[in-house]
Amino acid sequence: LGLQGRFRRREYSAIEMKFLRRAIFAIFMMVITATVYRLRGTGGTPPQHGGWRPLELPER
Amino acid sequence: MSRIAVVGRGVVGDRIVRRLPTVVPPFELVTVDPRRIGDVPPGVDVVVLAQGGAHAPVAAEFLDVGTAVVSVSDDLDDVRALLDLDDLARASGVPLVVGAGMSPGLTGLLARMLADQLASCDEIHVAIHGTAGPACARNQHDALGGRAVGFVDGTWIQRRAGSGRELTYFPEPVGPYDCYRAELTPPILLHDAFPEASRLSARISANRRDRLTARLPMLTPPHREGGIGAVRVEVRGNDAAGGRRTLIAGVAELVGTSTAATAIAFAAHALDGRLPAGVCRAGDASLDTVALLRDIGQAGVRLQEFTGVPSEQRISANP
Repeated sequence: LGLQGRFRRREYSAIEMKFLRRAIFAIFMMVITATVYRLRGTGGTPPQHGGWRPLELPER
Repeated sequence: MSRIAVVGRGVVGDRIVRRLPTVVPPFELVTVDPRRIGDVPPGVDVVVLAQGGAHAPVAAEFLDVGTAVVSVSDDLDDVRALLDLDDLARASGVPLVVGAGMSPGLTGLLARMLADQLASCDEIHVAIHGTAGPACARNQHDALGGRAVGFVDGTWIQRRAGSGRELTYFPEPVGPYDCYRAELTPPILLHDAFPEASRLSARISANRRDRLTARLPMLTPPHREGGIGAVRVEVRGNDAAGGRRTLIAGVAELVGTSTAATAIAFAAHALDGRLPAGVCRAGDASLDTVALLRDIGQAGVRLQEFTGVPSEQRISANP
């Protein structure tokens, strides 16, 4: 490769790095968004005791 | 011999036809093609509307000829249109059951049964999981993309569907699911049946994909029938001694089966003349709720109640 070939190769690397930076930024933003969504809301606390049982209907 | 017509032969319609004989004495079944609604069959005592699409126009045609109508519709606009048929039903002297499915329907009956155990009831919260057939799945999809209606401190509110996440514990084997506000009918029907309740809400289970795609057309065709669904009804109020009580009941069953059982119970009561003329809502004080729930149990649905104490932290966080 002469001078022209080396220059072209450095140009391609810059494009790849730009793409890589953008991909990392997109993943970072995705993680931040997912974290916000997960932390929003009150969620819930499991019932502390008890459980489900068949319902006995009251006498009429 | 009495004549019962069933409109629609989807998951719910098929199950109604198969299980009607378990609750109703010998009868003649009339199958009505939803595409030929104009030809109302003569001499029908009760018609069960279980087809997809709007029920109100069909109900009006049957009410015109004096047939009692049981509708399993869960679409908000359709339910409002059905409620507007009260005058027509009264004039015809027949009942029009609005919301005779799992929700609305079974949820209202459970709410009434729980509220009757309290001296006063001021809050009712309903949660739903699962779908029956494709039409039900489409309705749920649309509900998650609409405007949720709720009743808070005596005022009607509208919130964006898909908001208001709450972790809800359904009866086993369904278990816990995140539930969100949606364009559901229970608050409207429960308000009529429980005018004293100052807080009414309804939520539906959904995952992130459901919420993300709710405002888009359905990307994939719905299943032939959903898996095991569930409802959970939480009623809060005071007991006779003035203490604060929270009562919870629910069902874990195929949604199509629960819906069919509820519709069958209402059809049987309409056939026996145990429903008043005009619009009837599940949970109305004038209905024999216990008898309806017994019929639903007879049609194969196991009712359950929660015996523990729900977390006080959750109650205070989500009033």
